[in-house]
Amino acid sequence: MDKETVRTICYLARLRIDQKKSEKIENDLETIIELISGLQSIDTSNIEPLYSPLEMTALKHEDEEKSDNKKEKFLENAPASNDDYFLVPRVVE
Amino acid sequence: MSIQFKSITELRAMLDDKLISPLELAQESHKLANKYKKLNCFVTMDDDFSKKKAGAINLNQENNSLLSGIPLAQKDLFCTQGLRTTCASKILSNFIPPYTATAVKKLEDSGSITIGKTNMDEFAMGSSNETSYFGNVHNPWKKGYVPGGSSGGSAAAVAAGIVPAATGTDTGGSIRQPAAHCGITGLKPTYGRISRWGMIAFASSLDQAGPLARTAEDCAVLLSIMSGHDLKDTTSLNVEVPNFLSKLNDPIKGLKIGIIKEFDLSDLDKEVQTRFEESKKVYEKLGAEFVDVSLPNISASVPTYYSIAPAECSSNLSRFDGVRFGHRAENTDDLNDLYIKSRSEGFGDEVKRRILIGTYALSAGYYDAYYKKAQQVRRLIKNDFDHVFESVDILMTPTSPSTAFKFGSKGAQNPVELYLEDLFTISSNLAGLPAMSIPHGQVNSLPVGLQLIGNFLREDQLLNAAHIFQQNTEFHLAKPNMEDF
Amino acid sequence: MIWETVIGLETHVQLSTKTKLFSRASTAFGAPPNTNVNLVDCGLPGVLPSVNKEAFYKAIRFGIAIGAQINQTSIFDRKNYFYADLPKGYQITQMDLPIVLGGSIEITTDDLSKTINITRAHLEEDAGKSIHDEYDGFSAIDLNRAGTPLLEIVSEPEISSAKEAVAYMKAMHQLVTYLDVSDGNMAQGSLRCDANVSIRKKGNKELGTRTEIKNINSFKFIEKAINYEVKRQIKILENGEKVTQETRLYDSVKDETRPMRSKEFANDYRYFPEPDLLPVVISNEEMQTIKDKFPELPKEKENRYIKEFNLSAYDAQIIASSKSMADFFEDAAKKTTNYSLLSNWLIGDISAFLNKEMIEIHESKLNSVNVAMLINRIDDQTISGKIGKSIFEEMWVSGSSPDEIIESQGLKQISDDGAIEEIIMTVISDNPDQVEAYLGGKDKLFGFFVGQVMKLTEGKANPQTVNKILKEQLKK
Repeated sequence: MDKETVRTICYLARLRIDQKKSEKIENDLETIIELISGLQSIDTSNIEPLYSPLEMTALKHEDEEKSDNKKEKFLENAPASNDDYFLVPRVVE
Repeated sequence: MSIQFKSITELRAMLDDKLISPLELAQESHKLANKYKKLNCFVTMDDDFSKKKAGAINLNQENNSLLSGIPLAQKDLFCTQGLRTTCASKILSNFIPPYTATAVKKLEDSGSITIGKTNMDEFAMGSSNETSYFGNVHNPWKKGYVPGGSSGGSAAAVAAGIVPAATGTDTGGSIRQPAAHCGITGLKPTYGRISRWGMIAFASSLDQAGPLARTAEDCAVLLSIMSGHDLKDTTSLNVEVPNFLSKLNDPIKGLKIGIIKEFDLSDLDKEVQTRFEESKKVYEKLGAEFVDVSLPNISASVPTYYSIAPAECSSNLSRFDGVRFGHRAENTDDLNDLYIKSRSEGFGDEVKRRILIGTYALSAGYYDAYYKKAQQVRRLIKNDFDHVFESVDILMTPTSPSTAFKFGSKGAQNPVELYLEDLFTISSNLAGLPAMSIPHGQVNSLPVGLQLIGNFLREDQLLNAAHIFQQNTEFHLAKPNMEDF
Repeated sequence: MIWETVIGLETHVQLSTKTKLFSRASTAFGAPPNTNVNLVDCGLPGVLPSVNKEAFYKAIRFGIAIGAQINQTSIFDRKNYFYADLPKGYQITQMDLPIVLGGSIEITTDDLSKTINITRAHLEEDAGKSIHDEYDGFSAIDLNRAGTPLLEIVSEPEISSAKEAVAYMKAMHQLVTYLDVSDGNMAQGSLRCDANVSIRKKGNKELGTRTEIKNINSFKFIEKAINYEVKRQIKILENGEKVTQETRLYDSVKDETRPMRSKEFANDYRYFPEPDLLPVVISNEEMQTIKDKFPELPKEKENRYIKEFNLSAYDAQIIASSKSMADFFEDAAKKTTNYSLLSNWLIGDISAFLNKEMIEIHESKLNSVNVAMLINRIDDQTISGKIGKSIFEEMWVSGSSPDEIIESQGLKQISDDGAIEEIIMTVISDNPDQVEAYLGGKDKLFGFFVGQVMKLTEGKANPQTVNKILKEQLKK
């Protein structure tokens, strides 16, 4: 895992690593990648991935309105909001 | 009258005999929490609300549940309406949910009193409770030692006798390992048994809520109430919930217990091995039969888990972006800067590490090699379990390779060292199977846990085996002296 | 150099379900900000999605109509990226297993028809909306739209001009409204598209570098945006430069496309199966119910109109081409029996007014009861056709009923023989010279007498009665 990969991954995850800790974290990531790379030796040809331990199907709900909207509470929890909206620094498209 | 170290069953009797009122009980519980503040097992207390609710409970009503008037603590990743829910993270340190998790709601609806929210590893990522934004939790058995994690606060609160039981969640051992380290009983049910709605997700396909208590019987009481299908969680099982108390006392003669060959216990502490051998003897005396079984892929559990869990976590934790709730950094240039700064300030190092690993495992070019590969190995592991459960009823392993350790002594240099703590516990999360940990003695004055793994939806067998063990031993009755707190 | 344009369209159709794809919040347009937002839509911690049946049924209906393969097992995936109006930090969509696979759509340009193949159509959730210009220094986030079900329909790159792209979108509009899959309202964003545009030298097999124009939401803009983009790319290539693969926005004010700043970073969406949702299965019984309840399509309607209402093939085709018009026609036809007069009005005056304002009939103030009443009043000769037109203009503006207008403005036609005869006698006696000339063979003067009668009755005299009596009286 080179520095460039770490930088890309950090950007995708919107995280910044402290300069002081960067070497340690890079080493940690390397160690973990090494751990999970252990899987490569296992033969999984023709094995379907198991994405959930429940091999079942989801129930579907009816198309009927049931609101649990709490606009005021939602906006109260927001770091920046006015009476109607969540606010973020202006985005230029 | 002291309520410390009392089980639900004992407190129930005290309430029913009018030796104490629900309000007095809640007050006593709060007093104990205050007295042992140094344990740091609570993040937020619910004084006003719980006292008001406790005062309103009428025990003379018919159909009162076994939990009516019983104080409980909730792991701080269950959302609780109007009560701060932090996941022990800076990023949620000011979050007040406008809703309550289904599991907690069911407990509260049956009359139990939430006295507070317990400390934990940040976002449940850790095995020692050392990643909490709110500081380490002490093991009630030994100051300066970890209680285990991630449900460390819940385990410590129960072990210290502040509450008779608490909720926890278990993604890779987060109920069982702290239960083992604190000398109490903890159950991770079958995946889907309890609704995950309102439980802040770490790894969606592995997370499962469950109880931590003083006895298997109390776990059965809580499980009966917490379980059940929830329309709001399509991954919750639409199956009938049995009365988990009804089979507790069934004799276990002829119970077939599997011992997993691939787990080489000779690497473990001698005393831990001895405890394990002696518990086998207890079960043999009770008429159980031991069978050696093979799960050829189980040794791949750790790498499998550490591919899947971080991948799901990296996506689950994207919603913590400083826009709608939680911490937002100040002085940001633009939206992107806001994301980066808020998340970098808000998450601790272990959470960041896991998000980064997960992001890597899902990224273009690596998905097949890590994430998909791990899910394929996961199927192999599950197939192994399916196979052995054709010939045995339950499996038995130590819960953890070691006992509780000193703060800062593991994982600081190499995080993988701490990941190996989960060696025995994570395979049941990968396969979605129920498993529990019961205390079975001590090594160097620290508790040791015995793990029982059951077949899909067979919590009844686990609870039965655990209860019978507790009826014939006294390990679960041991109490820490609490002198240092 | 002759250049060839290659266009593929990704159409986003908002499904007209009452509630969202993964929550039971309302999808109604125009609600106060952040009120059609359930806990799930706000992306709060710990809350989980569940799936709306109806969205699947609508998607399947679309798939059946275009002759596609339907995947009865749906698996959802997470598409991970950060954006202010994407609450969870990922969009739940379908990557590997879209519900609709293949199929095709017929388009017609200049009387030539062409088949455009569809690659796939999948279900996904819409994002919220960001308002950029109303608050100083801030963008405001409204999550009302977040979680609204979308069907993203991806065409093969088989569209060769802006005109064909418009025809494709019109065909799409007709189809989704007919299937009752969407309201098709482009102004409200229920139907919008991203256009992948590239050019290549005529005869080349290889595709050129494409650009993606995002979020175009009117037929007019599709044509303009693509034409602009094609010209821009030709200019680049003819200058010997290279087209950059990028996402662009169409600015309708400046009539140009420009690169989107917020999407400048190459993204890696890290798709993986959504662990919060188990696979969704549509049973064979459900498939059968969807087929049994399949709505009538334009061609079937056309044939029925010819048979049932005796319309001409031409009229039937025009009326059936718009779902909104066809619904209106069928409702009005329950209240009148003069179907041909009704269809004349719909195709003539009414369509002219609609086209002028670029709206559909259900968006106008007209309703089927009033239009049927207008037809009936003309049919029973309460009013003349000419008066009918002025009544219609009033109905268009005010939405009033024709009877109210006739009553309040005294427009009732005079059909009473005695009354008309009296007026005719006056006209004859006032114009002896003209009568003489007419009788002397100047037949053309007949119109003069009719005109005089109409003038005296303010146009309210029944023309047939006037003709009949006038002829009789002039002969005397």
